[in-house]
Amino acid sequence: MTSWTAVWTLGLVLVIAPLLPGLATKTKSWLTGRRGAPVLQLYFDLGKLWRKRSTYSRTTTWVFRLAPVAVVATALGAACLVPLDGRQSLLRFTGDLVAFAYLLALGRFALVLAGLDTGSSFEGMGSSREVTFSTFAEPALFLGFATLVLLTGSLSLSGMFGEALFTAWGRSAAALALIAISLFLVLLAENARVPVDDPATHLELTMIHEVIVLDHSGPELGLILYGSALKLAVFGALLVGVLVPRAALPQPLAAGALAGGLVLVAIAVGVVEGVMARLRLIRVPQFLVAASVLAALATFLVLWR
Amino acid sequence: MTAFFLGIALIVAAGAAAWLLQGRTRLADSVFATLAALGCAAGLVPAVAVLVGGRGSVGLSWGMGAPGGTWAFGIDSLSAVFLVVVLGVGLLNVLYGIAYLAPERAHRAVGSAHFLTCLFLAAMALVVTAQATMPFLVAWELMALTAYLLVVFEDEQAEVRRAGLVYLAATHVGALALVAMFALWGTWAGGFTFSALGRASLPASGAAVLSLALVGFGLKAGLVPLHFWLPGAHASAPSHVSGLMSGVMIKTGIYGLLRVISLVRGVPAWWGWAVLTLGILSGVLGVLWALAQHDLKRLLAYHSIENIGIILLGVGAGALGVAYREPAVAVLGFAGAVLHTVNHALFKSLLFLGAGAVFRATGIRVIDRLGGLARRMPWTWVAFLVGSVAIIGLPPLNGFVSEWLVYQALLRGGFAVSPVRVAVLGVAALALIGGLALACFAKVGGVVFLGEPRSAAADEGREPTAGYLLPMAVLALACAVIGLLPSIAVQPVLAIAGSIAGASLETLQPALGPVVRAAWGISLVSGGVVLLLTVGWVWRRALERRRSPTWSETWACGYVGPTPRMQYTAASFAAPLLQAFGRVAGVRTERTPAAFHTHPVDLVLEGVVLPAWRHVSRVAEAIRPVQHGRLHTYLLYIVGVLLALLLYLWLGART
Repeated sequence: MTSWTAVWTLGLVLVIAPLLPGLATKTKSWLTGRRGAPVLQLYFDLGKLWRKRSTYSRTTTWVFRLAPVAVVATALGAACLVPLDGRQSLLRFTGDLVAFAYLLALGRFALVLAGLDTGSSFEGMGSSREVTFSTFAEPALFLGFATLVLLTGSLSLSGMFGEALFTAWGRSAAALALIAISLFLVLLAENARVPVDDPATHLELTMIHEVIVLDHSGPELGLILYGSALKLAVFGALLVGVLVPRAALPQPLAAGALAGGLVLVAIAVGVVEGVMARLRLIRVPQFLVAASVLAALATFLVLWR
Repeated sequence: MTAFFLGIALIVAAGAAAWLLQGRTRLADSVFATLAALGCAAGLVPAVAVLVGGRGSVGLSWGMGAPGGTWAFGIDSLSAVFLVVVLGVGLLNVLYGIAYLAPERAHRAVGSAHFLTCLFLAAMALVVTAQATMPFLVAWELMALTAYLLVVFEDEQAEVRRAGLVYLAATHVGALALVAMFALWGTWAGGFTFSALGRASLPASGAAVLSLALVGFGLKAGLVPLHFWLPGAHASAPSHVSGLMSGVMIKTGIYGLLRVISLVRGVPAWWGWAVLTLGILSGVLGVLWALAQHDLKRLLAYHSIENIGIILLGVGAGALGVAYREPAVAVLGFAGAVLHTVNHALFKSLLFLGAGAVFRATGIRVIDRLGGLARRMPWTWVAFLVGSVAIIGLPPLNGFVSEWLVYQALLRGGFAVSPVRVAVLGVAALALIGGLALACFAKVGGVVFLGEPRSAAADEGREPTAGYLLPMAVLALACAVIGLLPSIAVQPVLAIAGSIAGASLETLQPALGPVVRAAWGISLVSGGVVLLLTVGWVWRRALERRRSPTWSETWACGYVGPTPRMQYTAASFAAPLLQAFGRVAGVRTERTPAAFHTHPVDLVLEGVVLPAWRHVSRVAEAIRPVQHGRLHTYLLYIVGVLLALLLYLWLGART
């Protein structure tokens, strides 16, 4: 039976998701000695875009207009599968971890097609980079999941991040630490943050995620921005889930721990952006292979325990 | 079984009618379509009865006097599911062929091609129902030969003839391996029916049988490195034949492997590891090489190799589960393999039919010369998109369900104490395959259908007729049904997998019960996403009505005159990934200041097979003078051999 806490924690995440990119930007600005945009900037942007009219390229088809919906729908679907309250997700079943990863892939596929739908070289370039880097991120994510499966004996995200994970920390802290690092690297790549992508860049040739959405405008752009923020929150929730197993905590505390954890993840993303530059594109696959190797190392540690 | 043979007879009769009536086009087409549909329906009756009724096998065998021992046919659950693939998906390809071949009437006789297609279909149906060595091999050979004749349909092109020759040579090497396998096995078993083979316990040298099975069936399935015949043959054949070969024929190789596993009862672990490794190799390399292709049909052919890899990951996990006595892993692995076989038949046929529609509409197969077809062929695009999402393995379509089963087999393997737990690392390969497939179909969909047309011919592409669209619609619908209601598929394939693994599903209830229930969870997720998409779309339309949008040019950084040639090309799209994988990607790149070209090479065909073939033909040239057509020297050979034999006998008598 679905507990109500799962519902309202999901609601909480849906509301605070746009806060995270703002926090990351603020941290970065602070570190680089600037004032930066308000933390709530994304909320203002979304409000403004919501009231605007859209502009479409004459080249585009329905794919371009459906993709923003797909981005939000898939991120929302993925959020329903993650045990946000630390106990149970809204929807859980054996093997839901595969559904989680592939739902996000569906959103990415829609966005990449929308980029190609415009017929623009820039957006084609961004699409190409997006699929390249996500290809390298996928094995890292799955190896991390596989390790959690081995440690907890559960094939469902709710079990993998449940009480069994708490006891697993006692046995295999090293493996879990490796997974947490690998997951953080995947989070940076999947959410188009430094050092893989730079959300602040305004030179089309160097962008990845931003350049795909170059032609989107109005409420559609708002949907994409919100969907991206939600995706960051969902990945952040996974990271918090590994680091802080909350199944034993009382309910309000668990939700508070999630919110606090998400804030810390956003600040960590901001710190990374503040202290280092974007990698050369050719180095990015190496960065992501490193994430896979860390996750594989964790899997080996657990397999040959 | 009577219904089955009636169906086969009707299918052959349909082909014969198409051939004999070819003077009267419309009559021939309608008789052909009706008889073929009736035949497939009749043939499906016993298969569906086995699958739905849950009855055991129905069988028929006759004649000790028949050549090669007893000829037995039967349908058990494994045969039944493959029969559904052969006749169900096969029929749609055959019907599509009527519309597809119609424009060819001006150049050549089309009736014979229809006849061959029907023979091909009947042969495949017999392959999966044969229960004895002799009828199996006869049907196998008939399948190979009819497929060859169909591949060289457009035999005025040298490239087509070459692809046909490579296919013919390769398939016979495979057939040879199978003859050797059955001969060895049958000798040990003392009988050549499958039930006799199943009763025999293989001696230690059973390794020979299993290795030969892997070569013989592996060649047909197209696993790396035995795939070299596949891309050429599938690309050269008419599109509906490509659909049949890629969707159905290569699956008979998978059927063979599964049949061998179920007969051997307890495959050794090394074999399971071999299949798993080959599966990973085929999956990763298949999709990587697909990414490098410029020809739409060759690209789809390489994706068949990738999907065979995914199926073999399931078969390998299943075989390991059998070897290490982990029945839950075995059942999940085989179930994933069987379901992916069915799914791949659906979406790969769909994609080939879509590619055929594009080819007929534009006359172009080169991806970089197409573009903008989504506006000109909207329904073909929808069908192709459904096929693409399904083949990547994304929800809410069927490919996701079978990959989900394979993932579970690998992950569940991780719980074991035995070495099978190492198989859990296979999830990384499966994830990589998924990522690469997404990249590849983003490239195909984006460059072929979206953007602006890159050539005048692409600009003139128009939606094909209902004869093309209806078979595609049925296939797309089937993909959606299995994707949205996986329960209807998961339960039956688990039962089939149980029978292959020789495990009783009742005792596995604790492990498999959650999987059956989880199928409904997938329905919720997939249905939920579809619902959200629909709601979002309706909302967006309402919004658009209230504030009419502005239409303008694509943003090009202030440049206002973009041309179609400025669009990103498929070659550029794939370049970063191919570059990252280096030489393994099988692509030669050529860079000039103003241009970037990539040339795909098949590493196995051009690196190994053809050089080896050149050596063989050099040796053959050397001994060629032995056969020159002069009768008296031939008589001399006979006398010589006779003398040698007599000498041998005489020497034998003396000792």
